[in-house]
Amino acid sequence: MTDGKSTTDISLGRRRFMQAGAAVGAGIMANGMPLGQAIWAAEGKVLRARSYADINKLDPGFYQNAYNVDVMNCIYSKLIKYKPGREWGWELQAAEEIEQVDPTHIRFRLRKGIMFTGGYGEMTAEDVKFSFERIIEHDSPVKGDWGPLDHVEVEDDYTGVIVLKKPFVPLWNITLPYGCGHIVSKKAVMEKTGDGGDFGMEPPCFSGPYVIDEWKPDQEVILTRNPEWTGPKPGFDKIRVLKIEDPKTGETAYQAGDIDFTHITLSSMDRFKSDPPEDTVIEDHPSLYYIYLGMNQDHPKLQDINVRRAVQWAVNVPQLLDAGYFGQAEVATGFVAPGLTGHREKALIPPEGDLDKARDYLKKAGAEGLSLNLDVLNETPLKTMAEMMQAQLSQIGVNLEVSVQDPGSFWTIGMESEGDRWKKMQAIIQRFSMVPDPYYATTFFTCEQVGVWNWERFCNERFDELNAEAVTVNDPEKRSKMYHEMQDLLENSGCYRFLTHGGSPLMYRKTKLKSATRPDGRPLFRDFEPV
Amino acid sequence: MWLYLVRRLFLAVAIVVLAVTLLFVMIHAVPGDPAAIILGPRATPELKAALHAKMGLDDPLPVQILTFFADVVRGDMGTDVFTQRPVSRIVLGQLPFTITLILTSIAWAALVAIPLGCYSAIRRNTMIDKVTGVLSVGTIAIPSFVMALYALLIFAVLLKWLPAIGAGQGGLWDAIRHLILPALAVGIGWVGYISRIVRASMLEILGENHVRMARAFGLPERRIVFRYALPLAILPTVTVLGVGMAHLLSAAVFAEVVFARPGIGGLIVTAVNTRNYPIVMGTVLVTTGLFVISTTIADLVNAMLDPRVRESL
Repeated sequence: MTDGKSTTDISLGRRRFMQAGAAVGAGIMANGMPLGQAIWAAEGKVLRARSYADINKLDPGFYQNAYNVDVMNCIYSKLIKYKPGREWGWELQAAEEIEQVDPTHIRFRLRKGIMFTGGYGEMTAEDVKFSFERIIEHDSPVKGDWGPLDHVEVEDDYTGVIVLKKPFVPLWNITLPYGCGHIVSKKAVMEKTGDGGDFGMEPPCFSGPYVIDEWKPDQEVILTRNPEWTGPKPGFDKIRVLKIEDPKTGETAYQAGDIDFTHITLSSMDRFKSDPPEDTVIEDHPSLYYIYLGMNQDHPKLQDINVRRAVQWAVNVPQLLDAGYFGQAEVATGFVAPGLTGHREKALIPPEGDLDKARDYLKKAGAEGLSLNLDVLNETPLKTMAEMMQAQLSQIGVNLEVSVQDPGSFWTIGMESEGDRWKKMQAIIQRFSMVPDPYYATTFFTCEQVGVWNWERFCNERFDELNAEAVTVNDPEKRSKMYHEMQDLLENSGCYRFLTHGGSPLMYRKTKLKSATRPDGRPLFRDFEPV
Repeated sequence: MWLYLVRRLFLAVAIVVLAVTLLFVMIHAVPGDPAAIILGPRATPELKAALHAKMGLDDPLPVQILTFFADVVRGDMGTDVFTQRPVSRIVLGQLPFTITLILTSIAWAALVAIPLGCYSAIRRNTMIDKVTGVLSVGTIAIPSFVMALYALLIFAVLLKWLPAIGAGQGGLWDAIRHLILPALAVGIGWVGYISRIVRASMLEILGENHVRMARAFGLPERRIVFRYALPLAILPTVTVLGVGMAHLLSAAVFAEVVFARPGIGGLIVTAVNTRNYPIVMGTVLVTTGLFVISTTIADLVNAMLDPRVRESL
């Protein structure tokens, strides 16, 4: 029996609402927590970060593009992973220990208790063997990352040996800690695909601290904690990776409070540094990309090395960078970015060039009044640099016509497989992405790559020899010298004028998170921590 | 009316087939290899060849076109080369966002512009008419992306009243909040445009004999405007709204980029850049279909309102 007034009566009048609100507010204040943070804590720890593209491949053995790997890092585990910080290095993840036994053998021991979701059991050395060997067996487009992998020997449930046909040093920099290093469940993948091939966008199970909660195509991917995860607890309950293609829109979204982590453009960096959004940390990271002016040495107009040298010396790189990147990007000394083995302290040709020398070379070639075509991607900094280059070359009497191309058209200009366009290609402002090993920069400029990705058609025996040998050399100093020589050869050919690596500045809200990135600013969401 | 309907539908199908064929030829005429883009720099020639074969790119162009239409008739628009998902699922997944944006933009623009145009016509040469005229021309002249950027800076960044990006996390109110700024940016130019058309059309109708006759009979002005003038004056507006769908589709492209909204516009831009032919064709087919449907509806409405139109086809 009750007296007619139920104990569950929760009707809330204006007075009671005010009282309750005041009590909650006072409680929060007494706890020393600002209201915004109290709301943040109550919502659960959600990381909202920008990605410039939507995921389109979740099979690590067939991965494409870094934005997919950003998500893979959270949902799968690898033997080793990149160490967050300002210097390149790796640390253990799924491996309890790993060692280079000899130049062609790497022994690893897995941590016990790493579980695959969906009842697929514990991660074993057999899964590691399957994950790595399927990349070669199924002729993955990224099988080059595994270089000369022969096979993986399984010693017991947790121990195995990676056996290479010949030494391959980049394995520690670009294979094991990156896309191809992720481990998938043999049983789950075989069940899903039948032959162990590409499972595309439908992972049969997960092995990382997060699982995919929802993928809204063209909008966002939402990751939540993996309930079966037995490793160190990740910082955030949920990660929302929002696709925002345009970097300026990303900046606006950050300022509006819609996201808490984004990369920013170099053109905005000065503004954000002088007037940062509230509670924001702005970090400047060097990028690994390499941007250069390339010249097709087989084109009749550029066959004479003196013409190419004239162009090299006429280009004033700091001026280009002032125009294209508002002076925020550093001059490149070669293809290998600072911080990596093989980075050169300076290029052979000074960044400012020399117009008199350029005129001399042009005169020697008897090519005064030359007219050249320059292909460039339709991106503002690159277009701006092309226009500036046009002005610079006009100073030595070279008429440069700029031809702006959309990505679909641009990325096939120099390919022999795409018709005769490579024959007409003269000069190009090229930008290649890069992973943290110099091998990846030089391997596209061998004789074998002429007409594939080597559009300048540079071909040098010594370069090819060095390129093949440098991946087998463990001594960083010796290896570095080899890459120096390779970049000297490239520059001396007259086909290349190194411009910049760009930059990868970012910002995040320090009241919400502590970011964890690779030295090039690539986010390692798994290691992000809430504040 | 039925004969008109049949003729109009036949024409609509012919337009879709012609437009899609033309675009098919055009997209294949520009340089670019989807296999090179999809597989990336490390792809071997063998892998590229295999992907070409899988995408049917080795077939002659007429065969590819016929295969495409035959598949569409069977309800298959192909498969996305990146994610291996059916194109129909991808396009239809994005379509509601674009349609919502377009309809909201045109609806609010029409709701504001039609009364504004009427009022200007009735109060011709008054101060209000002149101010409306200046504002109308102003909204037509200012590019939509400029409006979008200012709207973002004011309402999202400065005031933080509305979200800057996306389409919402779910729930009607959230979706509406995410729709306000893009719809404002896309629709604002149309306010001026429609109000100018309605005003000009109303002025013409208000000067016609039947309206003068109605006035001579002493009918109330409100009844003359809404009963006898507006239904006739609205005819050109209906046609413009139908054709305007195509314009709004292209306006949706910028809105989807600036506001990071999902939709057909963003999808087609990315697909063209990556030479993702199945997605390009799927989106072109759907957008052409949308355009043809909207113009057909506009024509049918016109034919219903004005019997003379039925004889014109």
